[in-house]
Order: sequence, then structure tokens, then C-alpha cells
Amino acid sequence: MTQALARVAALLRRIVGAPDYDAYLRHIAEYHPGSVPQTEREFLDERLVARYSRAGSRCC
Amino acid sequence: MLEFPKSNRHASPKPKPAGAWWLRTRATVRQFLPMNVLKSLLWAVIALTGAGAIAFLALQRGETVNAAWLLTAAICTYLVAYRFYSKIIAAKIFALNPARATPAERLADGRDFVPTNKWIVFGHHFAAIAGPGPLVGPTLAAQFGFLPGFLWIIVGVALGGAVQDCVILCASVRRDGKSLGQMARDEIGPVAGFTALVAVFGIMIVLIAVLGLVFVNALKASPWGTVTIGLTIPIALLMGMYMRWMRPGRVLETSAIGIVLLMAALFAGRWVAEQPAFAPIFTLSGVTLAWGIMIYAFAASVLPVWLLLAPRDYLSAFVKIGVVVALAIGIIVMLPPLQMPALTRFTDGTGPVFAGKVFPFAFITIACGAISGFHALIASGTTPKLLANEADARFIGYGAMLTESLVAVMALIAACILTPGVYFAINAPAGIIGTTAASAAAVIGGWGFTVTPAELQALAAQVQESSLLSRTGGAPSLAVGMAHIFTNVLGGGGAMALWYHFAIMFEALFILTTLDAGTRVGRFMLQDLGKHIWAPFGRVSWYPAVLLASAMVVACWGFFLYQGVLDPLGGVNSLWPLFGIANQLLAAVALCVGTTVIIKMGKARYAFVTILPLVWISIVTLSAGYMKILSPNPKLGFLSHARWIGDQIATGTMPPGVNDAAAGARIIFNDRLDAALAAFFLISVVIILVESARLWIGVLSGRVACVSTEVPFTLRVQQS
Repeated sequence: MTQALARVAALLRRIVGAPDYDAYLRHIAEYHPGSVPQTEREFLDERLVARYSRAGSRCC
Repeated sequence: MLEFPKSNRHASPKPKPAGAWWLRTRATVRQFLPMNVLKSLLWAVIALTGAGAIAFLALQRGETVNAAWLLTAAICTYLVAYRFYSKIIAAKIFALNPARATPAERLADGRDFVPTNKWIVFGHHFAAIAGPGPLVGPTLAAQFGFLPGFLWIIVGVALGGAVQDCVILCASVRRDGKSLGQMARDEIGPVAGFTALVAVFGIMIVLIAVLGLVFVNALKASPWGTVTIGLTIPIALLMGMYMRWMRPGRVLETSAIGIVLLMAALFAGRWVAEQPAFAPIFTLSGVTLAWGIMIYAFAASVLPVWLLLAPRDYLSAFVKIGVVVALAIGIIVMLPPLQMPALTRFTDGTGPVFAGKVFPFAFITIACGAISGFHALIASGTTPKLLANEADARFIGYGAMLTESLVAVMALIAACILTPGVYFAINAPAGIIGTTAASAAAVIGGWGFTVTPAELQALAAQVQESSLLSRTGGAPSLAVGMAHIFTNVLGGGGAMALWYHFAIMFEALFILTTLDAGTRVGRFMLQDLGKHIWAPFGRVSWYPAVLLASAMVVACWGFFLYQGVLDPLGGVNSLWPLFGIANQLLAAVALCVGTTVIIKMGKARYAFVTILPLVWISIVTLSAGYMKILSPNPKLGFLSHARWIGDQIATGTMPPGVNDAAAGARIIFNDRLDAALAAFFLISVVIILVESARLWIGVLSGRVACVSTEVPFTLRVQQS
């Protein structure tokens, strides 16, 4: 039950576009095992700025 | 005795189906009817149902039509279009291959390029493209009756809008997520690329101004609305600080808190509106509200993103999705009858909501529900970088646009369940119906729609507004329609006021988010363009450049907003067609890019899927633009309106709503500026069409090499 809720929560977060720090960490661990990942705050900041600097994120 | 060959009928009897009774029935049916016959039968039934519903809508006269017919026709059309028309794009043109590695897989970086499940990408893409557009456009177009708008919504999306979204998404996925501007430059040429960039900036300015106008018209002289929306700003600030310093990354939790606070704000607004001491403070004029949102958007675009913009965005995304789903359920449960007739007398062009005949203005007014160039920016934005499997592009590109079209149908239904008298009382500007219920009832009665002053005053009292007259812009009439639906389904006549203000808050919430996000994006674009002229201007973290660029962007759209607020015809009357023309210009750019991509892939015989909507959009946009600039009718053409005002002032009579010669001079200037802007958009369309056509003829005749710029095929790495 909690698993299903967690999955729904993750779905909603992805749909709304919340930055997924865990996916980033998994990616770093898999592809760049030696490097130091960004801290959560740095990651969130960078993602948010990137999202609102282009015209492709929200519509009329 | 003759030996007849024994028949085989009993030699090997077919196995008896096993399992539950429905499985057995299904298996038995399948034994006798092959699957493809069943499927063809099913699709024939769907197609006939849809065609029948459309025929009924088009041919019925006199009685009120039930919304069920619109929903049936729409859904059947979408199903048939998805099953057959999008198949051409997916299978014949792009040959979407599940075995091909997508950019999300090849370029995975844990940030932008993240392979994502198709349902999540669908939801993300739909949340990105769903905005106030599909809610406002159909509401305004209801002045022609429900039929023209409805037919354009379902046919336009199937043959135009969804095609554009799908083709651009597929093209972008095959080019590692390139944006529309980049694709225009690479596929057609630098002229097209530059025109696309400038067009996007122009559209953003007009879009923000128009949405600002919708917002102002919904909230002026409404203390409840003003307080509720005003409170969303500190709510967003609180959410931002909470997510920053207390619970980083906890988007759902913070949004839940935000929603609870929103509900509290709704009730707080009611409380303030009922206090005779406080209500007048928050009863703001249009001009005050306009300045208010200009200052707000400027501040929101220079403050850090995490503080105000991002929390608003999450909150409005959740509220938007929730309300749209609730509206769909409400309409399906209530199945209201439509009070608006199929066609009204205003198809002849004398409409009060906006001037112009059905052709071409019905097709300009409804953009986001049928075909919207802005969506091409989204389809070539973050979405192509998320696809795990390129075969998902059909579902996401075509399907999400069909869903948005359904939202537009629901908005049309919600607008058309109002009686025409009430609809026009809310949507016609004060310059036409006057400022009292009596004058409104008289003018509207003269048009053939019955409404009494008592009825208008009673409705205003029901929703606890001082007056609903001339609350143009589509949002208040939609809110009244939605309030009707929710009160009907969930009960409680006294809750009508609460539902009305909830609907206003819902729209104003994401309009405000679009305003500040759009200002920020406009600022980036301006800094990007301006750095060629003065290098330090392009430094995005240098505060003086940031402040200057933001101020310039706000000044651009703020000017149009201010002009619209002071316009005696209501502003939406002249600005919305300008927005529609600009949006369809971008759609023309996107379709040109799509056609170029298709022809360069060697699939020119299928290029009709993009050329068909392109031709239609070009005809519509060019006619509408031409009429808006050069029509001799002062109600329609900008320049003849300016001339008419000038003539009136010269003879000494003040036109209605114009107080003095200075105000008249300002209106003349605005008219000329609007005409210049429309001319700029038209010239851009022509430039893009000419450049593209030259290229297509070159490729088809063999003069230009037919080379596709797609990233070469790479096999997917199979996940074990």
C-alpha cells in the first residue's frame, strides 16, 4: 500500500516537473563513479534556473 | 451406394473454450470472427457514432442540445483520428522504431536527458501545454454559437494541432532534442531561424499582455477575488522558503500545504469582501490592478526562482490538473443542456465580444484547443529529452494535444450552458451595452436574446460580486459556467459564490504563473538577442543587466496591457485577435519546419499531413491580419478605427468611452501600433512561407540535396 502511494507520489512529482535528485545521484553512480555529485541545493537551483530560461517549459 | 466423402466437421472438433463465462464468450466469438474483422467493426461503429453526433449537431434546429452530443462527437473524432491519422505520422513518415536509441538514452545526464516512462512524460507534456488558452479562446468564440467553435476544435486538432505537435516532437527526438528555432535555422535557413526567434518573442509579449488583461477584467471591482489572489503571493513565498530551508525537494508536501492555504485564502477573501470597512480598500480599478501585476511580474522575474516562481508553478500545476479533471467529471455527471444556439446572428461579423465574421476570426480566436504554434516550443523543449522509446512520441505528441482539445470542448460547454443573454451581458464591453443592468438588458434584448435586469442583478448577488456586467476576457463567464456545474453536481445553492470565486482563483493562479514565467523567459531571450549589441547585457547573473532586461520586457507587455485596460471596447476585443494571429504565425513556422523535415526524409508524398493545415492556417492568418489592418469597417480594422476616432474628434463629438482629445490621440496611437504589430506578424509569415517553399521546390526538383539532418540510428542498449 505504501509502495503504491510512493509510486503515485513519484509520478505526480515527475509530472509536475520537480527535479529528481535521486535519479541524478543514480546516474552519477552508474556513469561517473569517481566524480563528486552536486549537493542537493546546487542541483535544485541549477535545474530550476535551467527550466525557466527557455521558452519550452510552460504554455499559453 | 455412393460414398460421399466424409466431411471433416467432426474429425477434429474445435476445442471448447475454458474459463469464466466472459472469457468463454469472447473466445467463442473470436473463433468465428477473426480479430481484424472485429476491430474494423468496432472502428466503423465509433466512426458512425461520431459522424451521427456531428450531423445531429449541425442539422438540429430549435431545441436545446445536450452537452452529451458534443462530448460523443469529440471523443469519437479523437479516437478515429488517433487510430488512423496519427498512424500515418508514426508508421509511414517517421517509421518510429522502438529499437532505436533515443537521446534520453544516448545522452543520459541525470538532468535534462532522463529516460522516463511514457505515462509520466504524457502527464508532464500535458501539464506543460495546458494553460489558460484552451479555456479563454472557446469562451470568446461562443459568440458565434457553439457550432463553429466546436467544429474547428475537433477538426482543427485532428488535422492540424495534434499533427503539428507530433511531427515536431518526432523531428526533435530524432535531432537530440533541438528546439524549434534551431530546427528552423538548420532545416530552412538562417532567415527562417531568426524570424522564428523574433516571432516567439513577439508572441510572448502579446500573450502576456492578453492574459494580464483577462486577469484584470476578472478581478477589477472584486474585493473577494483581489484578496484571494493577492494572498497567493505570500503563500508562494512561504512555500518557497519552506522548500528551501526546511524541507528541500519536498514538492508534494509543500504543495499540499499550499493548497490548504489557498482554501483558507478563498474564505479569507469572502470574509474581507463582507466587511464594509475593508471591502472598499480591495475594490480596485483596472488601472490599479494593471500596475499591480506589472510590478509583481517584474519582482517575480528578478527574484530567485526558488522563492516565488517555482512554488507557484507547482501549486498551479496541481490545481490546474485537479480542476480540469473535476470539470470533466462534473460535465459527464451533469450532462447539461446547452442554452447557446448552434449559430447566432453574430456570424455576420457584428459581434460585441470581438469583431469579425466566422471566417477567419473563429479560427483565430480558438488557438490552443485546435492548433497552437506555442505548443511546438514545448514539443521541442524538455519533452523530447525525456522519451525512453521513440514510439511513445505518437501517444505523447498526438495524444496530449487531443486531451487539451477535450479541455477546450469542456470550456466551450461551460460557456454555452449560460443563456445567451447572460453570456453577452458578461462578455460584451461597456462601450456597447452600457454600465447598468437596465441598459445591458435593453441592448441585448435588441439583439434578440432575452434577459431581464433583475436576472443579471440576481446572478451577481448569487456569486457575491457587485456586478457581472462587461467582465470581458472569458474568465468570469467560464467561472459562472463552472460554478453552475459544480453546484449542480455537488449541491448547495449557497455555495455558488464559493465555486465562482474558486474558479476565478484557479484561472488567475495559473495566469499569474504564466505572467511571471513568461517575463523571465522573455528576459532571457532579450538578453540573448541584446548581447550582440552590447556584450554585458547578455550576462544573466549580472544584476544591472537582469533588472534592465526585465524592466524592458515588462514595459513591452505592460504597454499593451495598459492600453487594453483603458480601451472602451474592453481591450480583449482588439488584443485577442492579435494574439491569435501571432500564435498561428508560430504554428505556420512549425508546420513549415515539419514539412521541410518530411520532404528531406524523402517522404514528400506524405507531406500533405503538414501542408494541409499549413495552407489553411496561412489563409486564415493572412486574411485575418489583412482585415485587422486594412478593413474599412472601423469596428474591425485598426487603421480605419483610428481614422474614425480622428474624424469624430475633429467634428467635436466624443465617441463613447473617450473623455477628451488626449485620450482620443492615445487610442489613435494604439490602433496604429496594433496595426504595425499585425503587419510585422504577417510579413514574418510570408517570409517563412516563401523561404520554405523555395527550399521544397529545390529539394523536389533535385537542385538541393535531399539530406536528412537526423542523428544516425543507434540500437537501443537492452536493459537486462
